[in-house]
Amino acid sequence: MCFTSNFWNLVVSGLADGFLYALIALGYTLVYGVLQLINFAHSEVFMSGGFASYFVLRAAMGSSTPHGIASVGFVVLGVLAGGTGGALVAFLLERIAYRPLRRRHAPRLAFLISAIGASYFLYNLAGKEFGRNALEIPSPFTNGPVFTIFGAVVQTYYIVIAISAVVMLVLVDRVVAVTKLGKGIRAVAQDAETASLMGVNIDRVISQTFVVGGILGGAAGFLFGLSAGVVFTMGFTPALKAFTAAVLGGIGNIRGAVLGGLLLGIVENLGVACTQASWRDVIAFGILVLVLMIRPTGILGERLGRSA
Amino acid sequence: MHLGIKRLGVPMAATVLGLTSLAGMATTAAQASSKPTYTIAYEGPLSGGNQQLGLNMKYAVQLAVNQANSGSTFGSLPFKLKFTPADDGGSATQSPTTAQGLIDNKSVVAVVGPAFSGATKAAEPSFAAAHLATVSPSATAPILADEGWKNFFRVVADDNAQGPADATYAVQKLKAKGIYTVDDASSYAVGLVSAFDAKATSLGAKITHQQAPGTTQCQAGTGNVQEYGALATQVQQTHDPVTFYAGYYCDFALFAKALRAAGYTGQLMSDDGSLDPHYVSQAGTSVAAKTVLSCACTNLGNSSADKAFSSGFKKLAGFPVGTYSAEAYDAANTIISTLKKLGNKSISRAALVTALHKAVYPGLTKRVHFLSNGNIAGSTVYEYQVQNGKIVELGPVTQLVG
Repeated sequence: MCFTSNFWNLVVSGLADGFLYALIALGYTLVYGVLQLINFAHSEVFMSGGFASYFVLRAAMGSSTPHGIASVGFVVLGVLAGGTGGALVAFLLERIAYRPLRRRHAPRLAFLISAIGASYFLYNLAGKEFGRNALEIPSPFTNGPVFTIFGAVVQTYYIVIAISAVVMLVLVDRVVAVTKLGKGIRAVAQDAETASLMGVNIDRVISQTFVVGGILGGAAGFLFGLSAGVVFTMGFTPALKAFTAAVLGGIGNIRGAVLGGLLLGIVENLGVACTQASWRDVIAFGILVLVLMIRPTGILGERLGRSA
Repeated sequence: MHLGIKRLGVPMAATVLGLTSLAGMATTAAQASSKPTYTIAYEGPLSGGNQQLGLNMKYAVQLAVNQANSGSTFGSLPFKLKFTPADDGGSATQSPTTAQGLIDNKSVVAVVGPAFSGATKAAEPSFAAAHLATVSPSATAPILADEGWKNFFRVVADDNAQGPADATYAVQKLKAKGIYTVDDASSYAVGLVSAFDAKATSLGAKITHQQAPGTTQCQAGTGNVQEYGALATQVQQTHDPVTFYAGYYCDFALFAKALRAAGYTGQLMSDDGSLDPHYVSQAGTSVAAKTVLSCACTNLGNSSADKAFSSGFKKLAGFPVGTYSAEAYDAANTIISTLKKLGNKSISRAALVTALHKAVYPGLTKRVHFLSNGNIAGSTVYEYQVQNGKIVELGPVTQLVG
């Protein structure tokens, strides 16, 4: 049967896709939590992370093919480089594209236009500066089958994605749940005005929220670029899917974004088992619409900022 | 409007040509005979994302015209030639305007181009109405030859030649009993893959076909890079010894990587859309190794004529010959040799069209001779292979399977 013969293979590749969606989706959900704004330029935060890790790894690795512990080191370096690049662009975005509008109490629509404008500006700039062809991130490891689970081949690349993503997702969950920054984020999300009366510096919290989302998005850009290469249009579809995942899980809800990402990845992959690759998006978005008809606020519901 | 041109075009061209020769007489009064001047135009993308393809051809045409004027290729000619480039951006919307500009320039007797199939399809009705010969070095859409345009010629085989040739190679040379075919949903790839599937089936191979839309990552469609993981799993399940991809190098590189990561060890094949060094650099040398790519075009060899063209091109253009440079050179020289055959009488556009239908010219890439629908006679498809990170020509399919 079409469904059963590839089941575990498709679940494994679905989980790998899902972890990437989850990392990107968190950027949308965190910003939505504090600003009730969809940061449509997040796709370019993702792309910036990809390019940052490309330049750093190319400089650091040269033409070497690392093994063992060196591979791990270069993966960590790539994640850090991607995260830093993403964080920097997210920070600047908030400063240049959103904060001036917020100061002037601009209507919501203005934020949306500003976001789309920033997105177009950034990806066209990247296309102009870095060329129209995909650039290959030098691979820190040799990809290949590592082990099989229920007959499904697990590649090195999938393991790298899963470990990096799980570490980052747990860290973010903890940061929002227990740190002072996390308290600030949750306070602003619940009621910005009251939070500011209580002494929370709203501007700083919003800025830091963008940075946290940027780190995750940028690191995802690195993990994605490892296999597909980095190019100016790389952010478009993955970010759209991640946004979908965030809505599916319940926008503003951190664990919802992770759940939505993993679910979307698996559903997309299993969906094509009995059909063709060209049906992939039809199936994925069909299911999204069905879920939202039954639960309009997403699977876990909109619980702005109240993550833990 | 088109009718007006049809009726007036030829006499007006003759008048203008007559005037040109009078002017020539005035300035070179000392010379015994005055020579008429004919303009050969080039139409293709000279700006935008695909401009390199256009430039590859433009300089080749310019070189042919320069050489003919200096007498180095055809000896002494009874006319002088001029060259004019026209930019259509490779786009079907811009192309008719560009074409009209060339039609209105009465000294233009023939056009090398248009370069792209879409642009050709859009401009050809106007060219046909003006009886202006167009010889494309690169427009491969099969439909172009079916429209009844008398003035349409091309020096490259159409896509109907490539798909069956690839299928023959896969079944008879690689001995594949099962072949997995994938197309990127572009009109080029859909046509190519259906021709491939039909031929391979008739040769006894079992075909499994799937469509995977080109990705946004590659600016080639609406697809998502992640589609290739699941697709590779499905291909791997079939254990087909050959996978044929119809599409362009960027997406093919992503698909090839996914296939190898999924543990697929079969032979990879693709078409002229993937015949680009970027395929090797984006897929990686080890993934791309042994991939077979096809094209109805051939590398220049080591003959003295080939070398003279390469060095002359580089001197004029400032960069080495590229895809379809040699085809454009052959197209221009076919036109020039036909003009020469028509002699020193004043040559009309329509007369040139008629003469081109009978033309035989030994070009660099092939013996140029046109069928009545404008297609090139005898369409040879060549296979290439990635070896040690370089794309190497294996030879014509007919010889490889023979």
